[in-house]
Amino acid sequence: MPKLKINGKEVEVPQGSTIIQAFKAAGTDICHYCWHPGLSVAGVCRLCMVQIEGMPKLQIACNTEVKEGMVVNNTSEVVQETVRWGLDFHLINHPLDCPICDQAGECGLQDQYMRFGKYDPEMAEPKVKKHKVIDLGPTVVLDSERCILCSRCVRFTDEVSKTNELGIFNRGDHSEIGTTPGKPLDNNYTLNTVDICPVGALTSKDFRFRQRVWYLKEAESICPGCSTGCNVSVHYNEEGVWRVKPRENKDVNGYWMCDVGRDTYKFVNVKTRLLGGKLGKRDSWQFVDAADAARSAGLKLRETVEKHGPDSVALVVTGQYTNEEYQDLFKFFVIQLKSKNIFHWQNNPEKFNDFDGILYRGDHNPNTKGLEAALGTAGVKGRWEDLQSQLGGRKIKTVLVAGPENQVSFPDLQEKIKLLSQAESLIWMTAGNSALLDQVGCETWQIPLKTYIEKSGSFTNFQGKVQSFKMGTTIVPQAFTISEAMELFSGRDLSWNTRPRGLGGPKVNYSVGQRGAL
Amino acid sequence: MASLETKLLAEHYDKPEFQKLDGYKKHGGYAVLPKALKMEPKAIIDEVKASGLRGRGGAGFPTGMKWSFLPANGEPRYLLCNADEGEPGTFKDRLMMERAPHQLIEGMIISAFAIGSKKSYIYIRGEYDYSKAVVKAAIDEAYKAGYLGKNILGSGFDHDMDIYSGAGAYICGEETGMISSLEGLKGQPKLKPPFPAVQGYLRKPTIVNNVETLAAVKYIIRDGAAAYKKYGTEKSPGTKLFSVSGNVVKPGNYEVPLGISLKDIIFTVCGGLKPGRKLKAVIPGGSSAPVLTADEAMRATMDYECLAQMGSMLGSGAIVVIDDSNSMVDLLQVIMHFYHHESCGQCTPCREGTGWLSKILHDIASGHAESKDIDLVKKISEQMMGKTICALSDAAAMPAISFVTKFRDEFEQHLAKASTGSAVHA
Repeated sequence: MPKLKINGKEVEVPQGSTIIQAFKAAGTDICHYCWHPGLSVAGVCRLCMVQIEGMPKLQIACNTEVKEGMVVNNTSEVVQETVRWGLDFHLINHPLDCPICDQAGECGLQDQYMRFGKYDPEMAEPKVKKHKVIDLGPTVVLDSERCILCSRCVRFTDEVSKTNELGIFNRGDHSEIGTTPGKPLDNNYTLNTVDICPVGALTSKDFRFRQRVWYLKEAESICPGCSTGCNVSVHYNEEGVWRVKPRENKDVNGYWMCDVGRDTYKFVNVKTRLLGGKLGKRDSWQFVDAADAARSAGLKLRETVEKHGPDSVALVVTGQYTNEEYQDLFKFFVIQLKSKNIFHWQNNPEKFNDFDGILYRGDHNPNTKGLEAALGTAGVKGRWEDLQSQLGGRKIKTVLVAGPENQVSFPDLQEKIKLLSQAESLIWMTAGNSALLDQVGCETWQIPLKTYIEKSGSFTNFQGKVQSFKMGTTIVPQAFTISEAMELFSGRDLSWNTRPRGLGGPKVNYSVGQRGAL
Repeated sequence: MASLETKLLAEHYDKPEFQKLDGYKKHGGYAVLPKALKMEPKAIIDEVKASGLRGRGGAGFPTGMKWSFLPANGEPRYLLCNADEGEPGTFKDRLMMERAPHQLIEGMIISAFAIGSKKSYIYIRGEYDYSKAVVKAAIDEAYKAGYLGKNILGSGFDHDMDIYSGAGAYICGEETGMISSLEGLKGQPKLKPPFPAVQGYLRKPTIVNNVETLAAVKYIIRDGAAAYKKYGTEKSPGTKLFSVSGNVVKPGNYEVPLGISLKDIIFTVCGGLKPGRKLKAVIPGGSSAPVLTADEAMRATMDYECLAQMGSMLGSGAIVVIDDSNSMVDLLQVIMHFYHHESCGQCTPCREGTGWLSKILHDIASGHAESKDIDLVKKISEQMMGKTICALSDAAAMPAISFVTKFRDEFEQHLAKASTGSAVHA
């Protein structure tokens, strides 16, 4: 482990580290654009210049390996002058359109200029004109004039997605990012290029022009899109969630996430949600307070067990909920109702082991592992065929369902609703409003649940890694976690601190949930 | 007075037959190869080191030392001949390839044997169609005669040689840019380290040498390092081909020993200036070399150390002679247009800086500028120096700084004339 001095401070870094990694490890500010910890070194922005004692010329920190006893600084006048000029070179042809640029507020150019720049510009000549609003593919738009040619996106498609759609065309200050004819930027990882773009050159069609980023809050969460469990941050305001971005976790997702995962915010927002309790059946729905619906549903389950015994109820559960929720759900069902009629609803079991080689897995549930463990602890091995035969034989009277949170990943939803509605009564807990569910013919309770952004808990990913996350915001004030619902099901009241809290009440959110056009 | 010329490499360039194998052999061609193949490779490298031969492409790096950077083991390793002669003012490699392709090939086989390379490429500038045809034909002849291919002259040494060309980009003359181009990528320099001798073409050890350097190897092995060192100065041994262009009576390629005075080249070898003209400036080493004033030029000797001391460089040996009929403002504008056009665009200071300089110089040339813009040219250029992956940025900055510093008055007068409404060319 070589030791070096950075601006007078001694730092020890692993063998083979570069100087920029040492700066990051020491928490020392260093200006850079093209370097990204998840990509190869390009060394083209020339901003991470440092002065190394004993070397006549300034060196770039990103491509210089740390050697024992190095004395490095980036605070000397010559380094600072170089960085100021480096920023000036980046900005001379960059449009001054920050007020209408989507990146404003999270822009590398703005940030670094405020930290390292602040000079008086001297460029009086006309700027280079390049192409604007270039449609790179289904998800990403390019503004070449804003591009600073750091080549991060090109390296991403080369090294991470390995799809190689992007390249730099032409030379000199006419260089532009682009795609080759007939091969648009179209893979499951495209939006990572938008994340790593330090400027407003690459923007997401889904997010652009929808929000100013400084109005958004961030919550750390876990992507519920598949069993990988990418660490994400969810960006929201009082209207709802606007986007999901990856968070670094070297053991799970590195710096990236897939485009499917980014769409998981769409079932969270109010427009797609079940807002309160619903009782009845096809054509005769009664809207009630969610808590009342939960209380009466619990009563129904307890009455059924009293009348017909524990085998007359069944629990159907998906791998979409937290470990804590499973615990409370099974506590109610196995201990209180004394039933072991629990069945694991797998949306696409034949694809569970699929893997695209990067992040995306065929098991489109965040917590299949956690559910399996909870089922094992409860000593339950419900076979799906048994459920079918018992439903057919009218042995099961009331079915409780912890249905899909993300309905998009359950192509068998309609089929399962048809099967389960053979029971006399159906108690369906769900986050989303479902037109399919509204067509049920049996006596049904619909009870609103919270989505992953509205609750704290943990998911166990495919590796068996238990990853906790914290509540970000409340979007549907009446919705419950399963744990809260089970309190009400058991006939108890919700204690003060688990009562659902709203953040100023829901507002209708018109734009989230629709993919934007150009 | 042709006596100042010392024709070592160029001895037979005036004979058309020298281009073909038979003619080349008639004048001692392929006589050194058998001798070299009987030597220990290390002995060849030592001889080249002892000769003090320095790279003739521009940087002047000692050739033997470059060869010794190769890792001791490791196959394959490549030899690349840099024939992407793009430095404005330089035209010696073309002459060498077109008049004496076998001289280059023989030098390359010897060099390849020395460094243990079984495959070499001659990367010829995209626009040099005739050179390509001549060199290709010569390679074919050499294969037929057994100088290339398997078991050359019964020595057990195998070597294959081929030519390659880009689309004609200045940046492909930079050795890692050339390697990128040869790999089929966009011709852009690569980040160093790793250096080509460690990781070059296809990430294998690679040596890149200029045409003239490789051709000279043959003569060092033929006559020995000591004989070669008799030419030139102590730190700049050997002869050098200079491409002289501009306002002289007899422009052209001339082989002279290093250390000759620039005055002799201009006024003796090249027949001086046109009648009535006065020397204003000389670019001594291609467009990227800082310009010399007439005074400096008269004091300069053409060797690495004297020119370095004067703040300029020998470069590729392209001497551009400028007399008083030329405007330094126009010249710098043209030079800057060239570098703006040829910047690969990777590194920001070069990509943006060359464009910016080009625009300012256009404004100065057309009279739409102020005196402070001349200072700005210098400031921008200083910030482009030594800040990028390759030397193109420096190559653009050096002439800019030297022009506006040494000929400041002319730039000022030009702007003054423009503001008073006098005729301004541009």
